[in-house]
Amino acid sequence: MQMQIQKEITVEDLVEKYPFAVRFLAEKGIRCIACGEPIWGTLEEACEEKGMDSTSIDQIVIELNNLSNT
Amino acid sequence: MINVKEILDKLGIQEINNGVSTGAEWFEPAGAITNSVSPIDGKEIAKVKNATMEDYEMVVAKAQAAFKVWRTVPAPVRGEVVRQIGEALRKYKHELGALVTLEMGKIYQEGLGEVQEMIDICDFAVGQARLINGVSLQSERPQHRLFEQYQPLGLVGIVTSYNFPVAVWAWNSALAIAAGDVVIWKPSSKTPITAIATQKIIRDVLIANNVPEGVFNLIVAKSSVMGDNFIADKRIPLMSVTGSTAVGKRVGGIVGKRLGKTILELGGNNAVIITPDADIPMAIASTVFGTVGTAGQRCTTTRRVIIHESIYEEVKNKMVAAYGKITPKIGNPLDENFLVGPLIDKGSVDLFLNAVSSVEKEGGKVLIGGQVMEGKGFESGNFVMPCIAEAENHFHIVQEETFAPIVYLLKYSGDINNAVAINNAVPQGLSSACFTLNIREAETFLSAVGSDCGIANINVGTSGAEIGGAFGGEKDTGGGRESGSDAWKAYMRRQTSTVNYSADLPLAQGIKFDL
Repeated sequence: MQMQIQKEITVEDLVEKYPFAVRFLAEKGIRCIACGEPIWGTLEEACEEKGMDSTSIDQIVIELNNLSNT
Repeated sequence: MINVKEILDKLGIQEINNGVSTGAEWFEPAGAITNSVSPIDGKEIAKVKNATMEDYEMVVAKAQAAFKVWRTVPAPVRGEVVRQIGEALRKYKHELGALVTLEMGKIYQEGLGEVQEMIDICDFAVGQARLINGVSLQSERPQHRLFEQYQPLGLVGIVTSYNFPVAVWAWNSALAIAAGDVVIWKPSSKTPITAIATQKIIRDVLIANNVPEGVFNLIVAKSSVMGDNFIADKRIPLMSVTGSTAVGKRVGGIVGKRLGKTILELGGNNAVIITPDADIPMAIASTVFGTVGTAGQRCTTTRRVIIHESIYEEVKNKMVAAYGKITPKIGNPLDENFLVGPLIDKGSVDLFLNAVSSVEKEGGKVLIGGQVMEGKGFESGNFVMPCIAEAENHFHIVQEETFAPIVYLLKYSGDINNAVAINNAVPQGLSSACFTLNIREAETFLSAVGSDCGIANINVGTSGAEIGGAFGGEKDTGGGRESGSDAWKAYMRRQTSTVNYSADLPLAQGIKFDL
């Protein structure tokens, strides 16, 4: 499977190219959008902000790619 | 209905627009071409060529050079330029207001109101340009004069949000320019066209007054081009950022490391207290505007209503009834028959739906609304039915700011102090209001043991601030102040000076140091 979404993607690009990510991540407690604007930084940084370790972040990336390919 | 093509033509908006300007001059950047779509119907408004790092460096260099000139221009002359900008905005109020509505989605009356805010702050800054002052103090040394004065600061970075796509630029720029600073504006990537239109509106004023290129700068860029590097840039002594608490914490950390200055205007979780002594019809009318105005996308939107238990059912029923009247008024914000427009995009709709489901999961109860509107006119999927939910203040979702029209009803018992405790028991501290005709309750709410917010009103809702007062909040709202009162001081360098006009050299504190 091609991994289109990498953990280094900026949140701005993530929500623009993969809008489904907003709700998917919100349900995991990760807010991509605050005050209607994408937060600054990368997906990885947003996950780390929530206290996630690298394994959990990798899993999130896999799930996002799975959703993107469905 | 407003003719969109006519509006875009009058404002000089083309199919593809350059996203970099240093005032009157425009540059063709080589960055990505992005399109701006209207949240009303999802249709493209226009395209923008985004800036690259090279463009950014070019603009900063021009801004640095311009500052050296602009800081020497007398402040009242700088104020005259701001006055003419206000006049230009008056001329284009209808067109720019309509474009705000088209690109952001707020109703046309609010679009006009946004431009009026720009005009108002220009008027304010014209006067302020003649009132930049400092105090004279009494020196402890004979024949010495001790005083303070304010000097221009330098380059001011302005990051604005989509919900007030041009007014916040005006709040900052009008004061900064009058203060002798130069500005670099990074508008929201969701509303670049209103920014470009504004820059075009002021063009003739800049040319007529020989304002140097580099005083008014605009850069449309992605955060990957103009993000942390912009914030970390030591050439920019002041960063004024309007946005979320998440972004503000990032900005505060980066600017703090370089000991720069910030004005942070961040999220709110604003509450209205309604006491048994309130004028209830007034409280309901004001609160409903505060909850559904701009479709809940104002920093000052009312997010919580704290109601005394003795009037809880009455207020709840009246609010639900008022929301029932709102439903037929949801629609195209360019049509003046409607009062509530769309959310900015589907991401915001998703977060609205997530909040609705979260409050129910946590034990709350949805009383009305909470759905996405369907049918003719709502094909974009961005229109929602404003939601009222009963909740408790400690709910996780209530502690967060959801930038959408969902309001939580909270019950209090006992006296006003219990309501104030709920008001203050959130991370944010932007705006608050208390509806009461009881002077003891009102003064307690405004006292040192009262609201901990930057804005605290009596019988006036949480949203719709005038420009004359300083605007901003405490705690997670960031602590910055913009707009009126003495907010101008943040744009200036404070200097304490002592002049010795005696023939002696007495040292302070009476220190003897004889050579």
